[in-house]
Amino acid sequence: MSAVLPAKAEPIDWAGKNYLVVDDFIGVRQLLRESLRSLGARNIDQAASGGEAMGLLAKIRYDVVLCDFNLGDGKNGQQVLEEARVRNLLLPSSVWMMVSAEKSVESVMGAAEHQPDAYLVKPITEGVLLTRLNRAWHRKQVFRPIDQAYAEKDYLRAARLCDEQIEASRVHEIELLRMKARLMEKSGEPEKAREAYERVLAQREYQWARAGLAKIRLANGEFEQARQMFQGVIAENRYYIDAYDQLALAWQGMGKLEEACSILERAAKLSPNSVPRQRNLGQVCLKLGNVGMAEKAFRKCIAVGEYSVRRTPDAYLGLARVCGLKNEPKEALAWLQAALREFGEPSGELYPDIDLRAKITEGLVYHESGDYRRARKAGDELEALLGARAERPDTATCLEMATLLFAVGVKEAPSELLCYLIRNNHDNALLLDEVQAIFDKARLTEEGGDLIRSSKKEAADLMNQGVLLWKTGKLKEAVDWMREARARLPNNQRILFNAAQVLVSHMRERGHDEALALEAHEVLAHVDRLQPGQQRFAQLMEQLAELAPKPEAPAPAVDTAA
Amino acid sequence: MDDTAPSQDLLLFLASTAHDMKNSISVLSGTLERLLADAGPREDVVYTAAYPQMAQMLYQTRRLNDNLMQLLALYKRVGTPEYPFDVQPIETAQLLAQVVALGQVLLAAKGIVLEVDAAPDLIWHLDEDLIVGVVSHAVNNAAHYTRDRIRLSLREHDGLLEIAVEDNGAGYPQALLDAGAAGLSGAVSGIDFRTNSAGLGLYFSREVARMHRHRGREGSVRLANGGALGGGCFIVSLP
Repeated sequence: MSAVLPAKAEPIDWAGKNYLVVDDFIGVRQLLRESLRSLGARNIDQAASGGEAMGLLAKIRYDVVLCDFNLGDGKNGQQVLEEARVRNLLLPSSVWMMVSAEKSVESVMGAAEHQPDAYLVKPITEGVLLTRLNRAWHRKQVFRPIDQAYAEKDYLRAARLCDEQIEASRVHEIELLRMKARLMEKSGEPEKAREAYERVLAQREYQWARAGLAKIRLANGEFEQARQMFQGVIAENRYYIDAYDQLALAWQGMGKLEEACSILERAAKLSPNSVPRQRNLGQVCLKLGNVGMAEKAFRKCIAVGEYSVRRTPDAYLGLARVCGLKNEPKEALAWLQAALREFGEPSGELYPDIDLRAKITEGLVYHESGDYRRARKAGDELEALLGARAERPDTATCLEMATLLFAVGVKEAPSELLCYLIRNNHDNALLLDEVQAIFDKARLTEEGGDLIRSSKKEAADLMNQGVLLWKTGKLKEAVDWMREARARLPNNQRILFNAAQVLVSHMRERGHDEALALEAHEVLAHVDRLQPGQQRFAQLMEQLAELAPKPEAPAPAVDTAA
Repeated sequence: MDDTAPSQDLLLFLASTAHDMKNSISVLSGTLERLLADAGPREDVVYTAAYPQMAQMLYQTRRLNDNLMQLLALYKRVGTPEYPFDVQPIETAQLLAQVVALGQVLLAAKGIVLEVDAAPDLIWHLDEDLIVGVVSHAVNNAAHYTRDRIRLSLREHDGLLEIAVEDNGAGYPQALLDAGAAGLSGAVSGIDFRTNSAGLGLYFSREVARMHRHRGREGSVRLANGGALGGGCFIVSLP
C-alpha cells in the first residue's frame, strides 16, 4: 500500500453514496437534502435527534454524514460522532461533516480525540458543500493507508507512509507532519516527533506544534522547561485551552498543586464543557482539601458527561470523597451506589474494577470520618471481593487498596497485593520505593523489604531463564517458558516484551506461523494497554507486520471510491 | 477573563438565538437560490416582474446573513473560545471556487459577468470560513454597485496573498476612501460602506485580515478606485 496517490484525483461519484442528514430543524434537513439531491444523491436518510441518528447509524453504514453540532436536548453532534466511532459504526472511508452555527472551541483549540473530517459553518450553500465534500474525500484517500496502519498499531509503518505522502500532496503536508509527530510519540521516539513539529514551525507558528514540543518535554519529566513553553503558548494565545490543561500537568509534576489548581480553574472558566478538565480540577482540589471547589467541578463533570461516551466514574467517586470530607457519609454512599448503577453491569466490561474502587472509597470515607468499625467492615468486604476474582486492577488502584487495607487493620491481603505489584513491575524503581513506603507506614519495614526482594527475584529468575533459552537458540523451549512466565506474571511488561520478542525470533528462524503471530499480537496489545507509547512496542509491531506473509502478487488495488 | 464579560447564560441564549436565525436564513437563501436557478434565465421564457424582484430578495437575504455573521463575530470577538480563529493550509483555487459558487446565482440573475483571474497552485495558511465570508461579502457589495462586470483576482505579491474584487461601477465615495486610508483609526461610526450599514462589513473585513499574522506581518484591507475595470476595488492582503 505504498502507492502514492496523485494530488489531483478524478471527480467523485456522489450520486451512489449513502447519506445521513442529522439536524433538529426540519427546514435545514430539507435544504441539505435538496443540496445533496442536486449533487445527484439518491439515498438520503434523515434524523432529527442524536438518539434517532444513533439508531440509524447502528443499522446502516453511511458514506457521508452531515450532522449538526447543536441537536437540542440529548446528545450533541460531537457526542454522536464519538459514540459512532467508539462503537465502530462508521466505515473507514465514511466522511463525517460537522455542521454548526459556529465552530466548536474544543475542535479548534483543544485536543478533541474524535475529530470530524470537516466542519461546515451555517449557512451551508451548495458550492461550499461540494468543495468541502470533495476535499474531505480526497483527504481521506491520502490518509486511508496511514489510518489503516494506525489502526493495526503499526505506528512505524504509518509514519513512513506519512513521509511518502508529504512528497505527493503538499496541501496536506502540515497535517501529515502532525500525524507523523503523533505516531512518533506513540512509538516512543520523541526526538523524531520533535523534528516533525520543528518542520511545521519552520513554515508557520502553529500553536499545536509549539504545544507538541512542550508535551515532549513534559513526557520526559522536564517539568520546568515544559511549564515555560506552555506559558509561552498561552501568552501568544490566551484562548489555547489545551495548553492550560498541559500546564496544569507540568505544575503537578513539580508537586505544585496550588498552581495546577488555579490554571485548571482558569481553563474551566474559559471552556467549561470538558469532562476530563472538570475531573482533573476536582481531583486536584480534593488533594488540596478545597472541598467546595472539588464538589462544584465533579458536579459539572457529571452534568457535562451525561450523554457522552467519555464519561467516567471518577466524578462519582470524587463526590463521595467530598461528602465524606463534609461528614455526610450517607450522601457519600448514595454517590457510590450511583457509580455502581451507572458503571457496573451491564456496561461492566469498561470498568471491571468499579466495585473495588467504590468499596475503597467507602472505606476511605469511613476512615476519614473516624468511623473505624465501618471502615474495617469495608476493608473486610474488599478483601472478600479480591478473593473472589483472579484479576487484579491497575497499579494505582492496587496501591490505593493496599494503603486502605493496612490503615483499617487488614494485614495479609495488602501484602499479597503489593507482592503482586512488585512481581509484575520488578524493574520499576519508583514503584519499588512507593511500595516500600506503604510497608513503612504500616510499620512493616523489614518484613516488607524481604517481600519486595523475594518478589523481585522471582520475576527476574523467570525472565533470565527465558532469555538464556532464547540466546542459546532453544527457541521452542524459550517460547514455552515465556508462555509459562506470562501465565504467572500476566502484567509484567519486561516479560511481555520478551515473550513477544521470542515469538518473533521463532518465526524469523523457523517460518511464519499463524497461531504464534496471533499470540504475539495479543501479548503486544496487552502491554500497550498497560502502558502506551513504548519504543519496544512500536518496533516489535513493525517486525511482526514484516513477518506476515505477503498476499501473492496482489491485483492493483481498485479504488472503489473513484 | 474580563469581569465585564456577559454571563455564560446570556452567551448561551444568544448563541442559540443566533443559531436559530442562521437556520432561518439558510432556508430562506437556499430556497431563493433554487427558485432563481429553476426560473431561468432562459431564452424561451418571458420573464415576469417577479424574477428581478427575487434576485433583489436574494441580495438582501445575503446582506442580512453577512451582517449577522459579522455582528456575531465582532460581538463574540474572533479568536476567543466562543469564536475560534482557525488557520489551515488551503488551496487558493478552492477558496475562489467557493466564493464563485456563493455568488453565481445572484450574479447570473442580475446579468453580471464574473471574471476570475487566479494564480494557479497556491497554498496559503488562512481561516477559510472567515476569508470566504469577507471576499463573498465584497462580491455581494460589488454586485449592487457595478454596472455589469466584476473581476475576482488572486495572486502572491511580495510574500502576501492578495485577493481583489473589482467592478466597473462608479467607485467608492471619497469619504470612504479617506476613512480606508486612515485605517479607520478605531472610529467606526459615521463610515458609510456605500450602503447605510455603517461600515460594519469593512470593519469586520479589516479585523479578520489583521488576525492573520506571520513573522511580524499582519493582514490588511484597502479600498481604491480605478483598477482593471475602472470602478471600485477591494483588496485583502494576507501574510
